Amino acid sequence: MLYKKALLCTLLISSVTASDPTSYGWNIPNTPLNIGGYIDATYESKREDEFMFNDIALLFSAHKNHFDLLGEVEISDLTLDGKSNGSRDIEIILERLQVSYALENEQILTVGRFNSSVGYWNQAPINILQDTTTKPNIVKNIFPKATTGVMYQKGIGDEDSLTLALQYNRDIGSHDESIVVDRHMAIAYYGVSSDELSWRLSAGSYREFRGDNTRYLGVGTQYDSDEFALQGEFFIQKHDHGLSIPYSGYLQSVWHFTDKHDSVLRLERYKDEFLDVSEIIFLLGYVYRPWERFALKGEYIYHSKLPLNRFVYSFSVMF
Amino acid sequence: MLRTLLLILLLGRLLISEEIIVIGDKNFPKETLTIQEIRAVFLDKKRFFIGEKKVLVMNYKFHHPLRNCFEKNILKKSQRSLERYWAKAYYQGKQPPKIIKSIPMLLGYIENVHPSIGYSDVNATFGKEIKILYKGECL
Repeated sequence: MLYKKALLCTLLISSVTASDPTSYGWNIPNTPLNIGGYIDATYESKREDEFMFNDIALLFSAHKNHFDLLGEVEISDLTLDGKSNGSRDIEIILERLQVSYALENEQILTVGRFNSSVGYWNQAPINILQDTTTKPNIVKNIFPKATTGVMYQKGIGDEDSLTLALQYNRDIGSHDESIVVDRHMAIAYYGVSSDELSWRLSAGSYREFRGDNTRYLGVGTQYDSDEFALQGEFFIQKHDHGLSIPYSGYLQSVWHFTDKHDSVLRLERYKDEFLDVSEIIFLLGYVYRPWERFALKGEYIYHSKLPLNRFVYSFSVMF
Repeated sequence: MLRTLLLILLLGRLLISEEIIVIGDKNFPKETLTIQEIRAVFLDKKRFFIGEKKVLVMNYKFHHPLRNCFEKNILKKSQRSLERYWAKAYYQGKQPPKIIKSIPMLLGYIENVHPSIGYSDVNATFGKEIKILYKGECL
């Protein structure tokens, strides 16, 4: 245990004080393996456990000729009394384990468990990489966060890409709050219009573990400049039998008002027939990043219907 | 008066501008690269292989003046924007270029590792067995 803590501290210190701001993790000498990770902790006064480590995660990757390996394991929702997900048995969760092979002509084939290539948020769904601690409704309710199966990606032109993903088996990862499926088929197109402007189209269908079939369709766009960023996503979801989510979308603006300080405004609206809720959510937040790999955030979230109005604070670090 | 002013401006520009070149090893299979291709290589947006080998991509240490020039004029990204980019890219399994301390060290790699790519001040490459893939200016 002491050894693990020492390793974690070494990784943290060496990475936070790294001389090059683009390098993360630690390369194991004479191997192609890199090990890094991230930690995020949140404080919510309305939650039973006010302070919680949401994620303590290890990332590992290796690159060898045409092959790439990427893995992510974590302990989630760890409280100060030593419980993880409400249990004293600390469970290590597999978030991602994927092997990619680069084929000719900008084609990549991936097998394993990977983040579904759907929408913007899901490409970097961890606290340190986002400008808010809380996530929009679409992230956990419209499509499966992860897919266990195969993914084919084809680069088109300078930066566009087309992705196809297929799952026809059980999920090998954790059954957390996201949608758990045993069938998933997704198609996504990522287009780049200019250095600052890009867009995404996504569509797919999935079957919840021994459950109903559901289809989804989404569009998104992102404008990202040195001073200002704007990101919007809009999805619809339809169940084959029964209730659906007719719409769920958000528009989020981030103003980088100095090198280290950002303000965030998010407007969100969704209708969920399962919960019989149709509401608007406003978020106003502030982010302080002394370094890109370290963030302190505070935000207030206002819900027009559900009793979830609250302040949320977090700190996160990637190493 | 206007002519003198233009001449002074032109001279000033010539004095402060410096040529930066993107270079590959002598067997590099392409004769030139577009600025989009250079961005894709240095930001690991595309995997470039020569046969079975991945191209070794090299960059200088953080405060190296050539790196500042390259990021500003070729990648056309601010430091913060690059830091944000690499944080996400690391999570997605991408790899930043190998960090090299100096131009002589980079030229040493370029001469001995195939395939490899980097960038340099044009004056430092006279007599070296390299291939110039792109010419740009530090403004």
